[in-house]
Amino acid sequence: MAKRSQRAVSRRGFLKASTAAAAAVSLGRGKVLHALVPAGKATPRTGPKDVYSACDMCFNKCGLIARVDDLGVVRKLDPNPKFHKSRGMLCARGNAGVRQLYDPDRLKYPLLRKGKRGEGRWQRLSWDQALDYAAEKLQAIGEKYTRCGVLFMAGTDLQSQFVHRFAEVFGSYNVISHESNCLLSRNRAFLDTFGEVPVPDVLNCKYLIMAGANRFEALVTPDSIDLMTALKKGSKLVVLDPRFTKTAALATEWHPIRPGTDMAFFLAVAHVLIEEGLYDKAFVAQKTFGFERLAPHIRQYPPEWAEKECEIPAAHIRRIARELAAAAPAAMVYPGRRSSDYENSTQIRRAFAIVNALLGNWDRPGGLTVARKVPLKKPPYDAPFYEDNPDGRIDEGRSLMMFGEEGSFKHARDAVIEGKPYPVKGFFTYKTNPMQTGANRKKTVRMIETLDFMLTVDIAMSDTAWMADLVLPAPSYLERRDPVSALQGASACACVITRDPVVKPLFEAKPVVWIVGELAKRLGLGEFFDFTMDAYRKAQLKKLPGAEAALKKDGVYHHPGKLYGVYEGKPFKTLSKKIELYNQRYEKAGIDPMPVYRPPKPVPDGHFRLVVGRSAYITQGSTTNNVLLHELVPENTLWLHPKPARRLGIRPGDWVVVSSNVGTQRLKVRVTEETREDTVYMDSGFGVLSKGLTRVFGKGASIVEILEDFNDEISGNMAMHETFVTVKRG
Amino acid sequence: MFKKGAIIFLAVLLVGVYIGLVLAAEKKGNDRKGKYLFRKNCRSCHVEGGSAKELSPVSKTQAEWEKAFKEYESLSCKDEWRKLSDQDRLDIFTYLHEHAYDSPSPIKCS
Repeated sequence: MAKRSQRAVSRRGFLKASTAAAAAVSLGRGKVLHALVPAGKATPRTGPKDVYSACDMCFNKCGLIARVDDLGVVRKLDPNPKFHKSRGMLCARGNAGVRQLYDPDRLKYPLLRKGKRGEGRWQRLSWDQALDYAAEKLQAIGEKYTRCGVLFMAGTDLQSQFVHRFAEVFGSYNVISHESNCLLSRNRAFLDTFGEVPVPDVLNCKYLIMAGANRFEALVTPDSIDLMTALKKGSKLVVLDPRFTKTAALATEWHPIRPGTDMAFFLAVAHVLIEEGLYDKAFVAQKTFGFERLAPHIRQYPPEWAEKECEIPAAHIRRIARELAAAAPAAMVYPGRRSSDYENSTQIRRAFAIVNALLGNWDRPGGLTVARKVPLKKPPYDAPFYEDNPDGRIDEGRSLMMFGEEGSFKHARDAVIEGKPYPVKGFFTYKTNPMQTGANRKKTVRMIETLDFMLTVDIAMSDTAWMADLVLPAPSYLERRDPVSALQGASACACVITRDPVVKPLFEAKPVVWIVGELAKRLGLGEFFDFTMDAYRKAQLKKLPGAEAALKKDGVYHHPGKLYGVYEGKPFKTLSKKIELYNQRYEKAGIDPMPVYRPPKPVPDGHFRLVVGRSAYITQGSTTNNVLLHELVPENTLWLHPKPARRLGIRPGDWVVVSSNVGTQRLKVRVTEETREDTVYMDSGFGVLSKGLTRVFGKGASIVEILEDFNDEISGNMAMHETFVTVKRG
Repeated sequence: MFKKGAIIFLAVLLVGVYIGLVLAAEKKGNDRKGKYLFRKNCRSCHVEGGSAKELSPVSKTQAEWEKAFKEYESLSCKDEWRKLSDQDRLDIFTYLHEHAYDSPSPIKCS
């Protein structure tokens, strides 16, 4: 347990050379790319061929077949009809993946920052120079500030596990994912109620309430496709959303709920279910804990009270509750995905979870199903322990019940800025873009400015890469050999996927597994990356003998298993071993053990609430520069209701200035009745700082520049619907 | 006078004992170090294909881990446990307990 011996990394000659030849390297378009898409006959013929892969244009990882022509160029991406999770489909973003591969804006070689942060002056390095430099910097930070002085952040990617592995063997526990800008409060609420995060059986659901989720634009497979199929079969969809989204447009009914009051609606639904004896009595008696405390607690929340809060008529709330109960157990409150909205977002989702429990839909067709176990092995390793490290994570204890392995971007950022409880001076990011996803962009910049060294590995010069000291080019998903990964698919079955290169990596791109392996070697930790991807995969698939052949033959391995009745006779993974309507741990931690309604902060006069949402063409900040998708959504606009627009003298197409307590942005307005009078909206992924994103640079406004950084008080998830803005012509 | 002094002495003693108990109850190990020590000391046997049943934090509930650590003297590997310091055992317990099957932060499966 002695402190690991630390190999000295010598300063390389390139730094001397670099001072003499600090020339800015041109980014973006050039002749280089032209050579990559062969037009002539000189290129050796390699095809044509069809290659299975899994999409990476968002997190869903839908199955695809890449059509490669006889010159070795990917011409088209088609859906893999054997891939159940995506129901044999590929969306617009999936189709546009070819243009991610052949994007002239791709990062081509390692780049070292030469000017000020964000100035955009770079020097091209060789891989050896870049890796030596990075290892030297990481080593220096580790020695000066302990190994926990480096913060790691990796996106939802099949190779992110290697960044985690590197962080662990390097010795830092400060690893965060994108999740705390997205869905941790949902996970918290469902885990604390059912003991696990469920997988909704949308296909077989007869009555579904979707509060805030926008499944026909914010695509989740198989849910988005299954929802359409369920509607065609006669299922009912009730959407609660301050915006008239595409999901609202296709729903059976849409209620423009007052933002932040979803809990009032669901407490009132629970009230009706209990008051009228409509809940599943046998299920509640047998499988839940705390009903005798919930029933009196819920009495204070009748629909007539809720109507005043959520602005949905009491008669509708009663009717919806009765209709839900009539369809149960094939009825559900859809758990949703992104839940980074309010300071009490965990408690809001607890109300969702409790209604589901009262409907008795757990582990039943059309209800909430259990994630299927796929026996993928994680090849073990014994990471060293560094005695001089601090006891805990940098963001520990900043919210009441955080996930130890996830942390919180918001809290970690605050901690880095404050230097408390200890200094963090290094930042390693892989395929994640907190500069475009973390509310309050100025604060992210401030955090980065406190660093000694920031390293970003990505495909393109994202805003996050733009701020880094060293930028390393990663291959796109069509050029990589990945580990295998398991995906949940509810009635579409759990499955296992992987990726093999469809084409050879372009430019000098290197996969992150190779990058961290090379860094590890330079830091005396090479033993932890001493494997080939083939050997790694074999170890992962040890318990799944048929998987390798299926992956080769069909591009996917579907893992059979029971979908319903998994919990029959088994205890739940909670303290009471039952579904916790009343959460005992919350009580001990000083948290309301049952959701207590607290109204959202009122929108001040002359202000609007800014809400976050999704377009089906946009994956946060990573697709707005794609040439095909950019054509569909060239810029974002501010959605503003006609009434306040008239009051403010704003006409359709005008430029408007949107200001909050933390930032101001200018963009065009979209005057529309598709949002409430008190609510404004804009797409994410615009208003970029990076000039390396040549198509989208200078277009639209950045929502994270305006959003204030509140957080869910329980999970530490970002709370992105708590910001009020003013809007004026300008 | 003597009686009054004795009462004060007893009261101070009781308060001291109480504080000691509270501290003991709240004493928490270092789960990061616990993970390292668990891998080093326990997983040499409790591993797939090893001489004992494969174990990870989610193999047991929090209550089951509490019981196992309280009654480790009855386990067949008690000699191995005895080699560990109290602090090491507390660190390992903290790791297993905080990421147990029914814990608020269960360890992620692969």
